[in-house]
Amino acid sequence: MSTSTLPAAPPGAPAPRATRAITPARLLPWLFLAPSLAVLAAITGYPLVRMLWLSVHEYERAQLLGVPARFVGLDNYTATLTDARFWTVTARSFAFMVVCVVLTITLGTLVALLLMKLGKAMRLVLSVGLLLAWAMPPLAAMLVWGWMFDSQYGVVNHLLTRLGSTSWMGHSWLIDPASFFAVATLVVVWGAIPFVAFTLYAGFTQVPGEVIEAAQLDGASARQRFFGVQVPYVRSIYVVLIVLSMIWDLKVFTQVFVLQGIGGIKSETSTLGVYIYEMGMAQGHYGAASAIAVIFTVLMLVISAYYVRATVKEEEL
Amino acid sequence: MKILRFGAAGLAAALLLTACSSGDTAGGDSTGGSSGGSDGAEIRVWLVGTDTPDKARDYLKTTFEDENPGSTLTIEEQSWTGLVDKLTTALSSSDSPDVVEVGNTQAATFTSAGFFAPLDDVEADLGGDDLLPGFVKAGTWEGTFYAAPYYAGSRIVFYSQQLLGGTAVPATLDEYVSTAEQITTPERSGVWFPGQDWYNALPFVWENGGFIAEPEDDGTWKAGFSSEGGIAGLEQVQQLMTTASNAPKDGDESELQVPFCAGQTTFLSAPNWLRGSIQAAADAEIPGCADTYGSDLHAFPLPGKKAGTTAKVFAGGSNVAVATKSKNVDLAKKALTIMLSDEYQTILAENSMIPAKKSLASALPDDEFTQASAAAAANAELTPASPKWGDVEAQRVIQDALVQIAQGGDVPTIAKELDATIESILNG
Repeated sequence: MSTSTLPAAPPGAPAPRATRAITPARLLPWLFLAPSLAVLAAITGYPLVRMLWLSVHEYERAQLLGVPARFVGLDNYTATLTDARFWTVTARSFAFMVVCVVLTITLGTLVALLLMKLGKAMRLVLSVGLLLAWAMPPLAAMLVWGWMFDSQYGVVNHLLTRLGSTSWMGHSWLIDPASFFAVATLVVVWGAIPFVAFTLYAGFTQVPGEVIEAAQLDGASARQRFFGVQVPYVRSIYVVLIVLSMIWDLKVFTQVFVLQGIGGIKSETSTLGVYIYEMGMAQGHYGAASAIAVIFTVLMLVISAYYVRATVKEEEL
Repeated sequence: MKILRFGAAGLAAALLLTACSSGDTAGGDSTGGSSGGSDGAEIRVWLVGTDTPDKARDYLKTTFEDENPGSTLTIEEQSWTGLVDKLTTALSSSDSPDVVEVGNTQAATFTSAGFFAPLDDVEADLGGDDLLPGFVKAGTWEGTFYAAPYYAGSRIVFYSQQLLGGTAVPATLDEYVSTAEQITTPERSGVWFPGQDWYNALPFVWENGGFIAEPEDDGTWKAGFSSEGGIAGLEQVQQLMTTASNAPKDGDESELQVPFCAGQTTFLSAPNWLRGSIQAAADAEIPGCADTYGSDLHAFPLPGKKAGTTAKVFAGGSNVAVATKSKNVDLAKKALTIMLSDEYQTILAENSMIPAKKSLASALPDDEFTQASAAAAANAELTPASPKWGDVEAQRVIQDALVQIAQGGDVPTIAKELDATIESILNG
């Protein structure tokens, strides 16, 4: 969203007259794209190239201060791919991602349907609530969530103790990896629902009323109307939302990192993003961390490529 | 339909791009850098935590600015959590702070990689042979002196007489464990021992004959938590954590005055300067309990295995250094000299921090807390002198193992895994 696609004519662009003579029709779009491409090259391109370079060098803390880095070829990659920890972390990240995506999309759909049904006033209240959850910076949100689940002073333990007969005071929610990820899932899904709900709501409102009415007249039940009419209409939106959620939930960092600072066992709860940080920033193995990051990027490209191809194909029909 | 699809695809593209570009640009304070020349330069000093008293901060700023007219000195307070990561980023950037405080066990991570400017030329001005030898060693790499001692301290055991009552103060480490167990109730711990508090676990390992890691003849490191003594020590730790402490099993050792002031524990093993936090007024900015449990506060050094000895404890403290990338190394060294001056160090000593110079020990207040601390410090041990030790701390491997021990895990298995991890880092 940071790259506007409606740029003013780039200041340093060649005069259109000179190019018009050759292939004006082919050059003009590129001219319009130039500013965005320049920004992209600087912001995304350079770090990407740098990451690839780092991943084939032995780059430690000393290299940060000018000691020349040694070229090691694919050593960092082979070390990563033969490291059992890498595979554990990857499997954990994917399992976490699948749970989060399923929950986010399901709950997001339900909230979107609720938005359709609500009256004006309640819809406004719900929208504002969703917006607030969405607008909250993850770090700030995490500190609040962390406090709610605090072992000693947390409101969750307090309420559970008051509700039942057993004492929950002192119960640690983060010490057991399964429970840790339950909390992490709750926070991630909480933060992701608003975007999914708003987008789906926007999609559902575009489904022509007469089509639904026709289905109703033909005797379709609410369930049939939803799966047979509404969902197919917004299918492409679902595809995009699922792909985006998969990418976001795979690269989740803040939530897990902050929770690890509050409690829990680091080595049993790291996801890929946190693992890369541990390797790179905490331990100073920048080369090895970059290799993991490259592998991670390839994994994500594979995921998105499959769906992008599916979308494009559908578009061409 | 077409329009819907197109919109969705566009949205996806836009979000993908922002998703990629919003990557981690961690750290980086945007304080304007210094202006190049030594005239009118701005020196930035990073102090960690709230340990340095305000009086010392004011003294540093005023003295520096008086001695170097036109230049200014800014103190920026950092947090101990994630310090190694943050220093790595900041010290290698073009906007590096000029003088930084670093934990004594973390110093080697930076001295070995060239992050600090050599201090050999000013060593005599800083105090020379008067400086605490263990800390000079921690700040020296391959014969070059990079990081000066800042202050030292050690953990002592605090208690409130009204809570301990008639129970005798333990004379040996085993007695300490059994006393703590006996006085524990569901509401009040015998000793407050959060699962991540590895500093307090080390004395048990050392006193039972274990060790963290020792260099082998071939230059590799051998970790010793799974040695006979190491396991015996960790089992005592487990006993305390499971039967004498109600502290969170995965909690850390920050803000220890809070449970103490809430009356949740009888014994509290903490750095000696925590006394100030405990005895702060109840309505202070960081509240203490001067009128309740802080009113009859006492302390003793952690006892050793044999009666009449003190336990080997972790030698806490900090080093200070000048950043290699500082734009005004000479001015930064002047600021460092002020921090090691007798006047400045005396202020630290008056606040119960063991000063960086041996000759100033007499400035320490003559109370039982400081005496307990001095007795403990006399028997203090350091972490392994490896440049990779900082990585062990940054990866929190000992904390992870202790949290598992606090939950009642099998000590020999956990210790063995811990040793394997430590060896793979130190020898990696």
